[in-house]
Amino acid sequence: MSWKTRVALALTLSAAGLSATGCATVQPWQRGLLADSCMVFDANNTAAYMTHWQEAREGSMGGFGVQGGGCGCK
Amino acid sequence: MAASSRRRVAFVGAAAACLLIGAAGYNWAQNQLDFSFHAFQDSRGVTVLSPDANFSKDFTDRTAVKIRFGVDAISAASDSCARCHPDGANNGRVVSGVNVTRKYGDARLTLGGEFSRELFYTATTALASVSRDLNKSNTTVAGGFAYSFNKPQLHPSETTESQHSFDAYGSVTQSWTRKTVTQFGYEINQINGYQTNPFLRTSVNGVMTVGNSPDARTRHALSARLRQALPADTFLDADYRWYHDTWAVDSNTLSLGLSHHFGTSVVGGGAYRRYTQTAAYFYEPFYTGSPEYYTGDFRLFPFDSNSLTGRLELTPKGGLMGMPAGSALTLQYERYKSTTGFEAGIFTGGVRIPLK
Repeated sequence: MSWKTRVALALTLSAAGLSATGCATVQPWQRGLLADSCMVFDANNTAAYMTHWQEAREGSMGGFGVQGGGCGCK
Repeated sequence: MAASSRRRVAFVGAAAACLLIGAAGYNWAQNQLDFSFHAFQDSRGVTVLSPDANFSKDFTDRTAVKIRFGVDAISAASDSCARCHPDGANNGRVVSGVNVTRKYGDARLTLGGEFSRELFYTATTALASVSRDLNKSNTTVAGGFAYSFNKPQLHPSETTESQHSFDAYGSVTQSWTRKTVTQFGYEINQINGYQTNPFLRTSVNGVMTVGNSPDARTRHALSARLRQALPADTFLDADYRWYHDTWAVDSNTLSLGLSHHFGTSVVGGGAYRRYTQTAAYFYEPFYTGSPEYYTGDFRLFPFDSNSLTGRLELTPKGGLMGMPAGSALTLQYERYKSTTGFEAGIFTGGVRIPLK
């Protein structure tokens, strides 16, 4: 693993670890805006199709969930 | 597009419509149908029409099933096809998948599989993922693993090769305030086996030759995502991804978008995406001598790209065109342009129907 990968991984894991400490608490009755579809990650199926064809055109992939087997266009 | 491709699309569209009508009359507890149609056209003369249907059904309070079926009807006149097929060539891809999710307290376990088949390529995937809500559901920790067995055929020969892909993913999603949520993720992917595109050629000592790529590749992707509610029913979304692999392809992807609620029934939005990547270490515009690896695959070239997307979602209070209340129509158009000269326009129309 290169140094760039290690640094980037360390930064992301630090950010993720900070998140997981739960230093912020939003109560259930305060979650109205958080439930809006505009606030939900991957709320629509359109994003999956966009990711599919972008990965057929570009050399990189992933980052937002496990991958399927793809297609011959990749 | 050839008549066979049109027939295939018409058949799939009709089948999806029948499925939609049948499902709408069925009294399910907590179910949803998503039906979408994608149309892709690019500057190479490639057209792809892709109807796609997703069903979600809750069997019990703790068990849900999601079924997916989709088709890509491809009419290709790209350089790689036109070399042997001056009038263009057609292809069709059928993909189907099933996921089962079961809740265990604050945790969810999903097991599933997907099968994709087209001319000269098949892919079979098994996947498993887990997620758990913590901190009064303000934190969600998720992870997943997928294995794919892919079989490309080296058209025009009958020879088939094998490819094994292992993929693992982990993420943390955190609600920071009632207006801010973030997600950080890491994904690693290891691909072993044949990875050359059998249709793309490059110049080796002046002769156009099918490439030869290494048979192992490890890919890393890190992501950071933000969703922020702004004043006046407006929402910001920002996604960043950093990518690196052992072929020395490095990329950065940034997308920024805004969405706005126009009343209670209409959401409109736009997004901009910027992508940059470096070339694979064995990429050259042309090759001389006896190179070990060489490629004509445009995905391994250095390039940048920009894309703009516009999106409109309609959710009429009384339902959509006779469908139940809560049904939504989505219309989206994306324009993509890269520094390789490639341009594409992608239109998507989708309907989401909650089924009682």
